Amino acid sequence: MMAGTAGGMHLWAIATASVVAAACALVGTLLVVRRQSLLGDAIGHAVLPGIALAVLAGARPGGVAVFGAAVACALVTVGLVQVLRAVAGLAEDAGAGVVFTSLFAAGVVIVTLGASRIDLDASCVLYGILEMVPFDTVPVGGVEVPRGFVSSAAVLAALVAVAVPTWKLQVFSAFDPDGARAAGVPVAAVTTGLLAATAVATVAGFEVVGAVLVVALLVVPAAAAELLVHRLHRVALLAVAFAVGGAIVGYLLAYRWNTSAGGVIAVVLVAQYVVAALLAPEDGCVAQVAGRVRFAWRVAREDRLAAVWRAMEQRGTPAGPRSALEHLAGWWLRVRGRIVGAASLSAAGRREAEMVVRSHRLWEAWLGRHADLPLDHLHPPAEWVEHHLGEAARRRIEAELEHGRGDPHGREIPPEA
Amino acid sequence: MTDSATPSATGDRPVPLVEFHDVTVAYGRRPVLWNVDLVIDAPCLFGIIGPNGAGKSTLLKAALGLVPLVGGTVRFAGVPLARARHTIGYVPQRESVDWDFPVSAFDVVLMGTYGRLGWFRRPGPAERASARDSLARVGLADVADRQIGRLSGGQQQRVFLARALAQEAAIYLLDEPMAGVDARSQEQIFDVLASLRASGRLVVVVHHDLRTAAEWFDRVALIDMRLVAAGPTATVLTPDNLRRTYSGQVELLREVGLAVAERGRTS
Amino acid sequence: MSGGLPSSAALVAAASGLSASPTGSTVIGMAVPGVPYNTLVVACGVAAVGCAAGVVGSLALLRKRPLVGDAAAHATLAGVAGAFLLTGRRDLASLLTGALVAALVGLGALVLVRRVTRTRDDAATAIVIGGGFGLGIALVSGITARGIPGGGGLEHFLLGHAAALTADDARLLMAVSATAITLVVLALKEFTLVAFDASFAAATGWPIVLLDQALVTLVAVMVVVGLPAAGAVLVTALIVIPPVAARQWTERVGTLVALAGGVGATAAVAGVVVTSARPGLPTGPVIVLAAACFCLVSVVASPRRGWLVRTLRAAAERRAWAAGLLLDACVRAAERGDGTFTVTDVTDGRTARAAWRMLEHEGLVERLHEPTAEARVPRDAWRLSVRGLDRARQRQRRAAEWVAAFDRAPAAAKERFSLDLPACAITTDAGDTRAT
Repeated sequence: MMAGTAGGMHLWAIATASVVAAACALVGTLLVVRRQSLLGDAIGHAVLPGIALAVLAGARPGGVAVFGAAVACALVTVGLVQVLRAVAGLAEDAGAGVVFTSLFAAGVVIVTLGASRIDLDASCVLYGILEMVPFDTVPVGGVEVPRGFVSSAAVLAALVAVAVPTWKLQVFSAFDPDGARAAGVPVAAVTTGLLAATAVATVAGFEVVGAVLVVALLVVPAAAAELLVHRLHRVALLAVAFAVGGAIVGYLLAYRWNTSAGGVIAVVLVAQYVVAALLAPEDGCVAQVAGRVRFAWRVAREDRLAAVWRAMEQRGTPAGPRSALEHLAGWWLRVRGRIVGAASLSAAGRREAEMVVRSHRLWEAWLGRHADLPLDHLHPPAEWVEHHLGEAARRRIEAELEHGRGDPHGREIPPEA
Repeated sequence: MTDSATPSATGDRPVPLVEFHDVTVAYGRRPVLWNVDLVIDAPCLFGIIGPNGAGKSTLLKAALGLVPLVGGTVRFAGVPLARARHTIGYVPQRESVDWDFPVSAFDVVLMGTYGRLGWFRRPGPAERASARDSLARVGLADVADRQIGRLSGGQQQRVFLARALAQEAAIYLLDEPMAGVDARSQEQIFDVLASLRASGRLVVVVHHDLRTAAEWFDRVALIDMRLVAAGPTATVLTPDNLRRTYSGQVELLREVGLAVAERGRTS
Repeated sequence: MSGGLPSSAALVAAASGLSASPTGSTVIGMAVPGVPYNTLVVACGVAAVGCAAGVVGSLALLRKRPLVGDAAAHATLAGVAGAFLLTGRRDLASLLTGALVAALVGLGALVLVRRVTRTRDDAATAIVIGGGFGLGIALVSGITARGIPGGGGLEHFLLGHAAALTADDARLLMAVSATAITLVVLALKEFTLVAFDASFAAATGWPIVLLDQALVTLVAVMVVVGLPAAGAVLVTALIVIPPVAARQWTERVGTLVALAGGVGATAAVAGVVVTSARPGLPTGPVIVLAAACFCLVSVVASPRRGWLVRTLRAAAERRAWAAGLLLDACVRAAERGDGTFTVTDVTDGRTARAAWRMLEHEGLVERLHEPTAEARVPRDAWRLSVRGLDRARQRQRRAAEWVAAFDRAPAAAKERFSLDLPACAITTDAGDTRAT
């Protein structure tokens, strides 16, 4: 029985994809902050034999038994990795690599051999069956609703219902497991709960994007959100938003290009991540480059001003610019009126220059006292530290120096503005 | 062996064996060692002493090019590191190693000869003999075939020392060789170091124990994010110098280091 | 290390012999009755790939980066589909070239993400897997949906389909595998040095970044040539599982590399044989399951590190320990009385009974008299034998030595003292080798 018209079918498929993506993103946020993204990958692969066996044994796809089998598989995976570590001294990543590939291989063999008897084949394992979801419906309150939607909505509801009251415990255990244990948080139970939640979300994700790409649903939205916001609950909410957006856009693009929805959804999620990485306000690539450029520009300006100031102090001519950027800075300072004529400064320019020279000479004086350096070695470090000292640092150095106003070369240190 | 290994000296004044000139080292962008100027001109047992996190190991690593210098130069017997590598033996901190690795004590010592073997050549009888001798010199000939993880901490450290011996170097740099080592192994290690000095090698040891420092080393450098003092042990290990090294006067260096690391974000 | 070298050299010789197609065809051409020529060639090709993957994977395992190929493996799918779309050809060499490009792009993306963002390694891997494999799936299913001629075979690269290989394909795989093995054997010394102690390697002037890049590139190449047999999803297993299995049997790098190659080759052949008997089954999962069987057997039953041996050894050590304590109890009981004691005097509970049997078995205690009807002594009177007294004295002496050594040790060293009192175990040869 089909769920209404062609448009209605697409809406159901989109709704299912969104609900599943939201569920995965919610769980994935915790995996990402715990640095256990690859656990999501491992579980995504490892649940396959559980699902296949459950379906072979007569369980209905999307039914409770399938979820139970998947959770069991996830726990077995983690258990086996621990056993391998204890017995064979195997690091966790190698252990996971052995266990999840083996279980997935077993799953594929089971699915292939049992293909004639069950509703599951290798291609649906790899591609997801989102396009098929609207064709399998159950009546809910008189409306024909896709079975896949019903089960994933139930999964989302259950995950939210569990996540909201236990969120603090999850955060605490993720951030500081030992502290949490000491504070009486049942860390083992919390971790097992997260594993089970991952397995459940994975089974739901299976239908949408297939076994392999579940890891994209779990991890990528959270990784993108993490670049933009810093509080964990905000990361989770933003990740859910990214996931839902990615699911909708991905489905529509896949429809337009006539290709697998799961694949395109994953690509869209990664594209979102790339944009976030480029444009994140604090750590984005663009912001980083801008910060570096700004700093270089400030250094050039300050060097120029200090050069002119020193020339005024010694009644000589200022040293020439040492780089093209400094040359440009000199021109700019002249345009802005900070540098006047050949070698003189406006009041504002003078104040700025004095703070740079003050930082420089304070540092020379301080280093001269605390490190037994010859006089001629003091200048180079001061030359770059001068751009990093703030007012507080300058006052502290001055207080530590206690005496005199002169630097080790006998020149006066300008006072704080 | 020493003669061929030591780069030729030029001029009438002997070229210093190791020369740090204005060395500043940063992890990432954060400076942890400021403007170290240090000259070691003759073979001796040289200790680098200082509190935890003072940058002692960093100084060795910087000398060996393991962490980049943000300022200054290091020269070995007048030539830069790239041309002096085969004259330097190195014993890193033991923490950097995977003890479950499938190699025997002998294999580890043999690694000391790889530097002079060069690419793709396998160790031959000469290298094996050298490795066997080195292992015997640290008193471990009888555990040569044992997997490295099955040795005690002190034995592991001696294996590493033997590996450095197999490098047949003129200058030895050791990073905390006495850390976590039982008393007997400490004595044995010290005996080997003393014999190296006796045969005209320079031995530089990063060390954290002040009590033993005074009795072991001919010369020392006190370091706490910057060089406090360097010279003959008796003249350097004065109460005043120790106070300047251990009383954390350099809080400011730490803060400025952090400020430097933060640059580009706040500016 | 060098102990295993001849065998790995032999592997190279074997593999390159196979790959040299003009002369090699005589090797491969040896007809095995009842096996089609093509199957034989394909089996050889896949075996060479399995062997080389195991060899290269050993280095990745030793360098603590066993999963370094996983992200690259998933990205290859996009490369295969992209190469098909761009060139319109579907011969193996072009498709695998595309796969190699995609694998290297994937690895580059991984490095880029690590360098310029705050995203941590694990999430970065997941992102590359998602992007690469998602793109691959989208391309492959787009190609299939449009019915582009020749596009149907691309799905074989998901889970592997060795039966689709031709003899020429197999020779290509052999040639690449032999080259990879040759490179590893040539530079085994260098790779081992960097993997064991990177800071020493760097300090002695070895270019560790270059060697690491070489290793990662080798892994990427093996992932790519592993695709036709194992598929993008499971080819990682060819890199990871054989070395893990081999590691259980040896403490030598050379032997490890050779064994891993052997396990990989055997598993690969098993995959080809099984799937040629059952068409429709993808090759990849079967190869992986075969390798997993090796791994399981190795982890359980290998003679030194295996679970079985360790469990038995731990039980033996526990028994020896209990027997030692029981011997002490016997000495005390004997000193309290007239030098004799009964079993119930000194034992209590099941462990002690087992320990008692051990003392009895080793002849450390002896019955005072053979029980006879008219004996006046209690039936169950025992005393320490001469050997038993000797052993007990030895134990006491060693314990005293240990305590004295502990007292002499500087305070800082005290906490590092082994607390398992190895010298006090009853059997003289049970002393733990870790004790100083």
